[in-house]
Amino acid sequence: MSARQETFEKTLERLEAVVARLESGDMPLEKGVALFKEGMALAATCRKRLADAKMEISLALGEGGDVPFPDPAGPSSDEPGGGADVG
Amino acid sequence: MAHIFRVGELTRAVKEVLEAEFPLVFVRGQISNLSRPFSGHVYFTLKDAEAALAAVWFRGAQGGATTGSGERYNPATGEVLEPGAAMRLGDGMEVLCAGRLTVYPPRGVYQLVVEMVEELGAGRLHQEFEALKRELAVLGYFEAGRKRPLPPHPVRVAVVTASTSAAVRDFIKVGRDRGFGCQVRIHDTPVQGEAAPGRIAAAISDIGRQGWAEVVVLIRGGGSIEDLWAFNTRAVADAVFACPVPVVTGVGHEVDTTIADMVADVRAATPSHAAQTLWPERAVYVQGVDDLERAAVAAAGRLTTDREARLAHLRRGLSWLSPARRLTRAELSLAALAGRFARLGMTLTDNAGRRLERLTDRLARTIRPGGGLDAEVSLDRAARLSQRLEAACGRIVRDRERSLRDAGLRLAGLDPMAPLARGYSLTTLTRTGRFLRRASDAAKGDKLEVMVYEGVIRAEVTDVSAPGGPGPERKAECDGGEERT
Repeated sequence: MSARQETFEKTLERLEAVVARLESGDMPLEKGVALFKEGMALAATCRKRLADAKMEISLALGEGGDVPFPDPAGPSSDEPGGGADVG
Repeated sequence: MAHIFRVGELTRAVKEVLEAEFPLVFVRGQISNLSRPFSGHVYFTLKDAEAALAAVWFRGAQGGATTGSGERYNPATGEVLEPGAAMRLGDGMEVLCAGRLTVYPPRGVYQLVVEMVEELGAGRLHQEFEALKRELAVLGYFEAGRKRPLPPHPVRVAVVTASTSAAVRDFIKVGRDRGFGCQVRIHDTPVQGEAAPGRIAAAISDIGRQGWAEVVVLIRGGGSIEDLWAFNTRAVADAVFACPVPVVTGVGHEVDTTIADMVADVRAATPSHAAQTLWPERAVYVQGVDDLERAAVAAAGRLTTDREARLAHLRRGLSWLSPARRLTRAELSLAALAGRFARLGMTLTDNAGRRLERLTDRLARTIRPGGGLDAEVSLDRAARLSQRLEAACGRIVRDRERSLRDAGLRLAGLDPMAPLARGYSLTTLTRTGRFLRRASDAAKGDKLEVMVYEGVIRAEVTDVSAPGGPGPERKAECDGGEERT
């Protein structure tokens, strides 16, 4: 959900900060190695998030809440309740 | 005599000339006498203030040209046509027709066989559009200064459109591979017809009130100017203007610009373009992550490389300082010193030898027969030195004589006997051998020796008087004398 997407931005920001810190080069080797490991992990997390990223589509029903909206452009039928009839 | 035509013959001749001369013409005018018989052909008269032109739009030409996939498109612009364009024609409409001129022999009239019709200006609508545009411009609806930037990576997007339209399909299709994941809420509204403006405006207001969305997307597929008319209404313009979050529009085809487009913060050309405008391609993020990862690897590599270089440097320094190396260096410098020493010794003996040779040479020169001149010079010099020595000796002797005389005179002045000549005497207490200065030093019976200028008197003390004037008792008995010089 939204929390996950914000985490992507935060993860990316953290990755940028780690790389900037590493590039400054001004640190003990152990700290550098730790930062490097963290950076690699963050990059992997970012990639995973991007691979998993999708557009969640819903149809607003006035005050009555939302219903899932089937992706009309693709076969992504793994959405629960994909059979919502809109017309 | 000129050739006499038959009617058919002349008409055929005219037809040939006309068709050859006007294979394709563009004519603009107003439609009148429009009729649509069951045949499906459309007949009308194009007219302007001066003239009228009969026109027929055959059914087969009404869809425009046909593509391989069966879509109809305008051969002049390439624009894909909505079906039923012919159905929208009406009397009084200003149109541009493309077609060829021909003659219809049965009625002896020439006419335009229409291939394509395009509406022009659309008269009243066009005027309404211009009027609203002027009005809103005065109110500042189009001010560039009030356009808000879109959020860089919107994740909550509200879409106002017909949920079954091609527009929403295009939007989703393009948007799916962009951004890093998002939520899209579709607010279903009609996008044409009487109810459209009010429903669209209400949807936009609702979205603003709910405060969920970061951005509003208002989209609709292509259509005629009437189809798009909802987007040229004051109600929709007001809703877009009042919306608290940025609004992106993508209405119709690229050439269509509606009032809503002009009021919106960002105008996209089409629904697909609206999706492109909202999100960067996901591949861009992937590339960004790849770049960062490469940078991290490079930076970490530099970190260890720097340390390796320092380590190598230190290792070199350490080996330089090792005892074995120091010993080797000491041996080397010892060898060097020994070499220098040996060379120095040789140099010393060499120097001594050379010096000896030089001295030998000089000696040989001095004593050889031709050296007489040197001896004379020496002799002369010795004589001069001898004279100077004598003179100096004389001076010294004279100085000494004078000094001696002076000393004698000074000595004479200091002679203690001198006062005796004038009558003073020196008295010695024999007991102590000392000169007597105080009467109290002597006691009755003491022997005294009194030295006068010439001779000595020996006496004995008969009385001593206390300090005061000289007593008469200090009279000595003289019993002999000794000469003193």
